[in-house]
Amino acid sequence: MNTELRRRTLLAATAHAAFGVATLASWIAPHPARAAEPVRGGVLNVGFDDDAKTLNPVLSVQLSERQVLYLVFNTLVGINTDFSIKPELARAWHTEADGSRYVFELQEGVRFHDGTPFDAAAVKWNIEHRMDPATGSPQRTQLQSVIRSVEVLTPNSVAFNLINPYPALLSDLAERPGFMISPTAAQRSGAEFGRNPVGTGPFVFESWMQGASIVLKRNPSYWQAGRPWLDGVVFRDIPNHVIGLQRLTVGEVDIVTSISPDEARQVEGNDAITVEQAKVGRWFTLQYQVDKPPFDNPKLRQAIAHAIDRNRINQVTMRGRAVIADGMTPAGLWWSSPDEVVYDYNPAKARALLAEGGVAPGTTLAIAASSDLVLRRIDQLVSEQLAAVGITLQLQPVSQSESYARVVQRAINFTPISWTQRSDPNGLQYILLHSKGFANTTGYSNPEMDRMLDQARQSLDQNERKRLYAAIKSQMMRDLPYIPLYFAAEYAAVSKKIGGFVWPPDQIPRYRDAWKAAG
Amino acid sequence: MRVARWAGLGLVLTIACASAFAPLITGRDPNASGDDLLTGPSAEHWFGTDDLGRDVLTRTLHGGRISLTLGLGAAALGCAIGVPVGIAAGFARGWASTLLTQLIDLFIALPALVLALVVTVVVGPTLGNLMLVLGLVQWPGMARLVRGQSLVLREMAFVEAAWATGNTPAAVVRRHIWPNLARIVAAQFAISVSAAIFTSASLSFLGLGLPPPTPDWGGMVQGGFEYLSLNPLLCFGPGAAVTLTIFAFYVLGRTVD
Amino acid sequence: MLSLAARRLFLLVPNLVLLTFVVFAGMISWLGSPSTIMLGQDASPAAVRELDARYGFDQPVAVQYVRWIAAAAQGDLGRSVSTQQPVASMLSPAIPVTLELGLACILLALLVSLLANSIATGARIVQPLISAISVVGVTIPNFMLGAVLIYLFSVRLRWLPTTGWSPWSAGIGTHLMHMIMPVLTLSSFYACSFGLVYRAEYRATARLLFVRAARAKGLSETRVSYRHVLPNAVLPVITYAGLSLGQLVGGAVVTETIFSMPGIGRLLVSSVGSYDYPVILALTLLILVGVALANLGADLLYARVNPQVRV
Repeated sequence: MNTELRRRTLLAATAHAAFGVATLASWIAPHPARAAEPVRGGVLNVGFDDDAKTLNPVLSVQLSERQVLYLVFNTLVGINTDFSIKPELARAWHTEADGSRYVFELQEGVRFHDGTPFDAAAVKWNIEHRMDPATGSPQRTQLQSVIRSVEVLTPNSVAFNLINPYPALLSDLAERPGFMISPTAAQRSGAEFGRNPVGTGPFVFESWMQGASIVLKRNPSYWQAGRPWLDGVVFRDIPNHVIGLQRLTVGEVDIVTSISPDEARQVEGNDAITVEQAKVGRWFTLQYQVDKPPFDNPKLRQAIAHAIDRNRINQVTMRGRAVIADGMTPAGLWWSSPDEVVYDYNPAKARALLAEGGVAPGTTLAIAASSDLVLRRIDQLVSEQLAAVGITLQLQPVSQSESYARVVQRAINFTPISWTQRSDPNGLQYILLHSKGFANTTGYSNPEMDRMLDQARQSLDQNERKRLYAAIKSQMMRDLPYIPLYFAAEYAAVSKKIGGFVWPPDQIPRYRDAWKAAG
Repeated sequence: MRVARWAGLGLVLTIACASAFAPLITGRDPNASGDDLLTGPSAEHWFGTDDLGRDVLTRTLHGGRISLTLGLGAAALGCAIGVPVGIAAGFARGWASTLLTQLIDLFIALPALVLALVVTVVVGPTLGNLMLVLGLVQWPGMARLVRGQSLVLREMAFVEAAWATGNTPAAVVRRHIWPNLARIVAAQFAISVSAAIFTSASLSFLGLGLPPPTPDWGGMVQGGFEYLSLNPLLCFGPGAAVTLTIFAFYVLGRTVD
Repeated sequence: MLSLAARRLFLLVPNLVLLTFVVFAGMISWLGSPSTIMLGQDASPAAVRELDARYGFDQPVAVQYVRWIAAAAQGDLGRSVSTQQPVASMLSPAIPVTLELGLACILLALLVSLLANSIATGARIVQPLISAISVVGVTIPNFMLGAVLIYLFSVRLRWLPTTGWSPWSAGIGTHLMHMIMPVLTLSSFYACSFGLVYRAEYRATARLLFVRAARAKGLSETRVSYRHVLPNAVLPVITYAGLSLGQLVGGAVVTETIFSMPGIGRLLVSSVGSYDYPVILALTLLILVGVALANLGADLLYARVNPQVRV
């Protein structure tokens, strides 16, 4: 898949985003002139890289699933395209007890698609349901480390009592932990809820034919008057992007997202289609296990960092349109900081470092070769560049859907990988760099790093957090548990009939407020 | 018929030579990346370049080495199992004959590609494993054919005479049976090669081919599919090569007997 | 005839047990616990252990296999480790898609091969041409033919929808438009191979004594060919069609993948991609049983039509 395999390019490795508060303007390209005025009616056909496994937000893992979840469900709070938090099911909130208690005022009169009311009790049930080990929700660990209890104050206000102050709570509640599902429907459907999702969102689930389509219909009694514009949204499976773009040109689908520069070239110049670049793409990086040989040798890690030519990798895989990364945060976010520690492309220095570190020329290492179109090429280029300094890389194939699981099992040592940005710095940095972070698969452990991450996660002072995250970045670049490559260039190809489509930096397209011009 | 046989043989030899002398023909490294990405056919790159700037013609020629190795290896393995089983099934009497015949009939109907797919995902796609897997799906066809021919031979006077004069079974097989089987075995061998290449290309099209950067026809077709509108030859170059190879061996096999 | 059926079924059961055990044991021991796959990027060692215990992945392989096969025998195929859905509910919508594709292909192939070759019996010049086309047809891989068709009819000419599949409920016309290229892709091989078998049989039958006798009686050549030769040549084609069902499933896997049709072939490929072993096992079982039964059916049919045959 492999196209098959590839097209199910699962974003297992592309990570789910947990967004948070961020103040950043103009993050996404301003939409060029398209269907300018909203109109009622019409069905949006989305070209869908289907790897969806469940539409139950409590169990959801795949990135693609969330395109659908954001239509069927509402989150407690929402995010804007600049990552700032906005009201959604909670119309207002404030903190108490020095940031360790959040009180939310809920929208009144909201009903789930099954007619049951959405209220404070439903919020409490949703969070406790996720924290119950019997549910088996992957969000449990995350919530358990933060939430002590949820308290119903009145039918329309609810309080979250936290273990420690935790400013990233709102960003967490804007994504998966914040999707409010109908307790009644969830209890009635049990394990089948993932096939019969019931939420409060602007669209009602109608059907799902695995491998073909997911059909949603307009929610006629949506709590936001006059919305949504569309009569329905149909997610149509596309086996790969080239077919997706082909279907876009003949009008069978209206939008294809997450396409590469090479793929985007295929529709550039088509009058009926707009190609937009996301201002922030996924973070691509190399990772390996630093707690055991051979990568426990810092000289080897530094040598690799100097041996790879990231500009060439950018040229070949992204047509030079990606932004080279010297950390995991792109420029322009509130916690961005200057690059203090950088590794230039310098094969001579790499060879010297290898000699210093006692790495014999001709050493053979294995790198996981994913079936993903971009990762596959990164592998190939990295192996050429390392060969030039005397390290032979063996490419070991792994299907993309499988690769992250193998990384977690620690069966894959050395691999390129990609992560989506989250809107709070804690989101990505804590889970990857903290010795107890659940996505720390490199075995990286530095007490100083842990201390800074713990402090940054609890601080309510944004300036202090900014300072800490700058120090964390430099520490990471010195220790090199990751060798950052670039922030990718990613595109969406959209029919000009479509307006109101939003693509935040978390890489999940939002079709909620989209409309489709007739004809 | 004769024309077809010579045509088949000629094609097979041409493909074999093109693969064997691939490094001399274009003088390029099939795996070295280049700076011209996804260009169309040109004087310099007859089939254009792929998404790493590699020359597609060079990779197509080198891909032949992999496919031929796989096809010949798998067919040889199929012979090594199928011929003895077939002879045994043909000459054995009683329950042994029934058992072997049933075994062949059961295996021959198994969906080759599905089995190969499932087994390959378990054992992993290396050259050795693929050869083994493809060989294992090739043997029943050979066994069935050899059994049929053996049944005919068994009743022939000269074979019965050979038994009657007290020859050992090994001697009978070697002197009397094998010479009469060789031609159809050779024909079936060529067809096996064709079938094995067919299956291996389908497997690698489905993502279970040899790991990159190995140039592998099925995988190249699949990879080229992504860029169909930029350079169709990325897909159809290796696709034509694999089709031609399967065709050549098939024609050879059909026209030998 | 009954004993033939009984013998076949008797042999089928141990064969299925053996094959599924090999696949099962291989999946578990080579690929490790499915829990990490189920958890995706949320996997942590503690969460993995928890799931292992809950689903019994920490048991010995033999124990897990016995549990699985016992449940499967009662119709419970378990739940997908990837989607958490009951496997049966994933298979049931996929089966009709593949059956429709397969049946349409077999019928089209029989029709085309018999028609083309019957017409060609008289015309001497047409024969080699049809033979040549047939050989090309049996040697072109499905993925290649599919790619060529897509390139021609969708990318260049834009006559047909690129890929995808449309249920009957979305309109018969749309449904059929989506079926054209997949059916052509899959059936070309069978049309051509049936044709080759039929031609060979036709020639062999035409030399037989009773045909010559019919001719000697002064019957017209057309009458001889349609009344005497044809029925006898069709029989082996039917057996051959039965035997080639296994291969048809293989072709369907590739065809469904390239045209992204939600049938069992594509389900197999995607579950192979995510190492979703309950689905892979169930599909293996389903395909083996289906192919074996279809073969048996073809044999019985053959035996019935031609009573001289006792397999």
